[in-house]
Amino acid sequence: MDYFFFILSVICVWTILSLATNLVIGYGGLMTLGHVGFLAIGAYTAATLNILWHVNFYYTIPIAIIVTAVVAFASILPLLRLDAFYFGLSTLGLNIVITDVLQNVGPRVPGAEGLFGLDLPALMTSSIWRLAIIAALTALTVYLSWQLVRSPFGRSLRAMRDQPDAIESVGKSAKRYRVTIWTISGGLAGLAGALYCTTLSYIDPTVFSFLFSFNLLVYIGFGGLASILGSILGPTLLIVFGEALRFGGLPSQVSGPVQQSLFALLLIFVMVFRRQGLVGKYDFRE
Amino acid sequence: MLQVLISGLSLSAYYALLALGFAMIYSTLRIFNIAHAAVFGAAAYSFYILYRIFGFNIWGSLVVGVAIAAIFGLLVDIFIYRVLAARGGGTFSIFIASLGVASLFEAMALLFTHGTPLVAHTGSLLPITIGAVSFRPLDILVISSVAILYGVLFYAIMHTRTGLEIRALADNHTMAGVVGIDTNRTRTAIFAIASSLAGLAGILTVYDSGIVPTTGLNLLFVTIVAVIFGGTRYLFMGALGGSIVMGLVTAFAGFFFPQWVTVIVFLLLILLLIWRPQGFFA
Amino acid sequence: MISANKLEYRDLYKHFDGLMVFHHVSFGVPAGQITALIGPNGAGKSTLINMTCGVFPQDGGQIFKDGRELRRLSAAGALDLSLARTFQNVRVFSTLSVLENVLVAFPDQPGDEPWRIFGRAWKGVEERNREQAMRFLERLGLANDAGRRADEIPFGSQKLLALARATATGADTLLLDETTTGLEMSRVPLVLDFLRALRAEGRTILLVEHNMDVVTDVADSVVVLHGTVIAQGTPQQVLHDEQVIREYLGRIYSA
Repeated sequence: MDYFFFILSVICVWTILSLATNLVIGYGGLMTLGHVGFLAIGAYTAATLNILWHVNFYYTIPIAIIVTAVVAFASILPLLRLDAFYFGLSTLGLNIVITDVLQNVGPRVPGAEGLFGLDLPALMTSSIWRLAIIAALTALTVYLSWQLVRSPFGRSLRAMRDQPDAIESVGKSAKRYRVTIWTISGGLAGLAGALYCTTLSYIDPTVFSFLFSFNLLVYIGFGGLASILGSILGPTLLIVFGEALRFGGLPSQVSGPVQQSLFALLLIFVMVFRRQGLVGKYDFRE
Repeated sequence: MLQVLISGLSLSAYYALLALGFAMIYSTLRIFNIAHAAVFGAAAYSFYILYRIFGFNIWGSLVVGVAIAAIFGLLVDIFIYRVLAARGGGTFSIFIASLGVASLFEAMALLFTHGTPLVAHTGSLLPITIGAVSFRPLDILVISSVAILYGVLFYAIMHTRTGLEIRALADNHTMAGVVGIDTNRTRTAIFAIASSLAGLAGILTVYDSGIVPTTGLNLLFVTIVAVIFGGTRYLFMGALGGSIVMGLVTAFAGFFFPQWVTVIVFLLLILLLIWRPQGFFA
Repeated sequence: MISANKLEYRDLYKHFDGLMVFHHVSFGVPAGQITALIGPNGAGKSTLINMTCGVFPQDGGQIFKDGRELRRLSAAGALDLSLARTFQNVRVFSTLSVLENVLVAFPDQPGDEPWRIFGRAWKGVEERNREQAMRFLERLGLANDAGRRADEIPFGSQKLLALARATATGADTLLLDETTTGLEMSRVPLVLDFLRALRAEGRTILLVEHNMDVVTDVADSVVVLHGTVIAQGTPQQVLHDEQVIREYLGRIYSA
C-alpha cells in the first residue's frame, strides 16, 4: 500500500513539473529541454534547508519556489535573443551545468555524496498524509494553471506564441510574456522539486540527469502540448506503464533500458505521426 | 604541458571527424542530428563484434563498420526525418526525433552490454617517447587519416557534381530545388558521407580507448560546441578550427580540472550561443 | 505652418543593403482623414508603415506624430503613441479564435496581469470588451465565424479580422496595409462603410491600396510613392496625373 502511495506521489510531482514545462513550451512557445535543472534547484534548496540547516520542511516549500523562480528569471534574460533551436540547446546546457556544479560542489551531508535524512514534520511521516498534501498541492497547481491559461493573460500568451510580431502591433511586449511565464514555470518546478525530495531517500545530482529531461519530454510530447489535461495524462500513463514494466517479470538490470527504449520509440512515433500527442492543442514549433 | 597539447591534438582528430559530418548535415539540411551519436556507436559496436567476437580481419571489419554507419545514418534519415518532414514536421520536431534515436540506441546498447566498457585493441599500443613527449603510432595514424580525409573530401566538394550540389544546398535549400538539383539524392550523399565519418570516429575510439553506451553522446556534445565555434560559413575550416580548439580545451581542462570538463564545455556552449552564435570563422 | 497633420514624413530615405527603396519622401497625413498611399509593388509602402511603427528605423529624414518626432520607437511601443497597423501578410493569431484575436487587442485588460486573475474586476471589463468585439465583427460580416480558429477562415476574412484587431486597440491612427487585396468584391463595401465610420469617429487612417475604386470612393487625399513622392493631392488630381498614369496606373481611372 505504501508503495502505491509512493507511486502516486511520484506521479503528482511529475504532473506539476509537466505542467510547468508545458506552460513554457506549449503556451509560451519556448522550447526548453532542461527544465529538470529547475527541479534540481528546488529539490536541493528544500533538502539543504531541511537537512543541513534544520528548517521545518513546510517552510522550505515556499522558499524553494521563490529561489527557483529567481534563478529562472535570471537565467532567461540572456537567452531571450536566441531562436528556438539555440534556445533549446542553451537550456539543455544549463541543465547539465546545474547538475554538474551540484555534483562537484553541491551541498551534501558530510562524508557522503549527497543529501539524506529528510526531517519531515509529524504529519508527513505518514505515507498517506504525505500523499494527501502532495496531491492537494498538485490539484492547486492544476487549478492555477487552468485559470492562468483561460485568462486574458493566457490568451495574450498564446497570441504571442503564434505571432510574436503581431502581438507587438497590439501593444504587448513579447519579452514580457516570455519572462513572466518562464518565471512562473520556474516557481512551479521548484515546488515539484521540494515535493520530490519527500519521495527520495537519497538526493544527489545523478537523479537529475539528462535522462530525466528526456523522460519529461516524452511525458509532455505524449500527453500533448498546450493542454492541461495532457500534462496530467502524459506522466500518469507513462509512469504507471514504467512501473508495470518493472513488475512484468523483467530483471531489474534490464527493465531500465527496456523502458528507455520504449519511451524513445514512443517519442519518435509521436514526432513523426502525431505531434499533438494525445490531447494537445499545439505542435512543436517549426 | 607539451604532452597535454599532443593529446589535445589527438582528441581534435576525433572531434574533427564528427564535426565535419554534423556540420555538413546542419548547414545543408538544417537538421541538428543528435542521432549522429548513435551512428558513431553503431559502427563502434559493429566493429567490436566483427573484430573481437567473430575474429575477422581488422581492415575488413573497419570497412564493414563504416558501411554499417553509413547505412544506419541513411536509414534514420529516410524512415524518420523524411517521413516526418513530409508529414508537416519542422526542424524542431526532427531535432527531437533525433534525440529519440540517440536515446534509443543508448538504451539498447545499455541493454546488451550492461554498460561494460568495450575495448577493441588487443595487446598494447606502445607509446614512442621523444624528449618530454610521448605519443603513439595510433595517434599519428588517426591525425594523418583525418588530414587526408579532409583533403580528399574538400577536393571532392569543390570539384565534383555532387559536391557542387551539396554546396548549393548549403547556400540555399529552396533555390537548389528550383534549379533542378535532386535534393533527395544529394541528401543521400550528405548522410552517407557524414555517417561514414562518424562511423570511422566510432571505430577508432572503440579500438583505442573503448566505449560505453554514452560515449557517442558525450563526444557529440563537445563536437556541437566545436561546430558552433567554427561556424557554418566555411564548412571545412570551421569544423577543423572548432575541433582543434575544443580538442585543446578538453585536453587542458581534463588535465587541470578533471571534474569540471563537462561544466566548462557546456558553459562555453551557452556563452557561444549568447555572444557569437555565428562562430569565429564567419 | 501649424500642421493639422497627424503624421508628418520629412525627407525620408531608406535603403536595404545598398539598394535604395525611396528617397526625399515628404508628405503629411491630415488628422481625421483617410489618406491613400499607392504605388507599384516594391515602392516601399509597407516599409514606410514598418518604419512608422518602430519595426526598423529610417536611414534619413524624420517622422512626426502629433508634432512630436518619433525616435527609437520599438514595435511594442507604437501603440503607446496611439499607432496601430495591419500587416500585408495578415499574421492573425492562428490558434486563437476569431473573437479572441480581437479581444487580445483591447488596451484595457486587467486580466492580462497574472496576479490579478483571481480578483473579480477583470471579468466586467472582459464582458464589455467582448460586446465591443462582437460589434466590430458584425459590421465586418465575421460574426458567424467568431468561434472558429483564425487559421481556418478564408484569407479575405483574415484580412477583415486584422482590420477589426487593429481597430480594437483604440489607436487614433491606423496604418492599414492592403486591406482589400485578396478580398472578394462583394465584401469590399463592408470595408468602405467601416472605414467611413472610423473617420467619423475622428480616427486618422493611412491606407495602402492597389484597388483604385476603393481609393476614389473613400480617400480624402492620395500620395503616390515610386522612388519618391511623385504626386499627391485629391484622388481626382492624382489619378489624372500623367506621370502617375505612366509609371503606375496604365490608364485613366474616373475619380
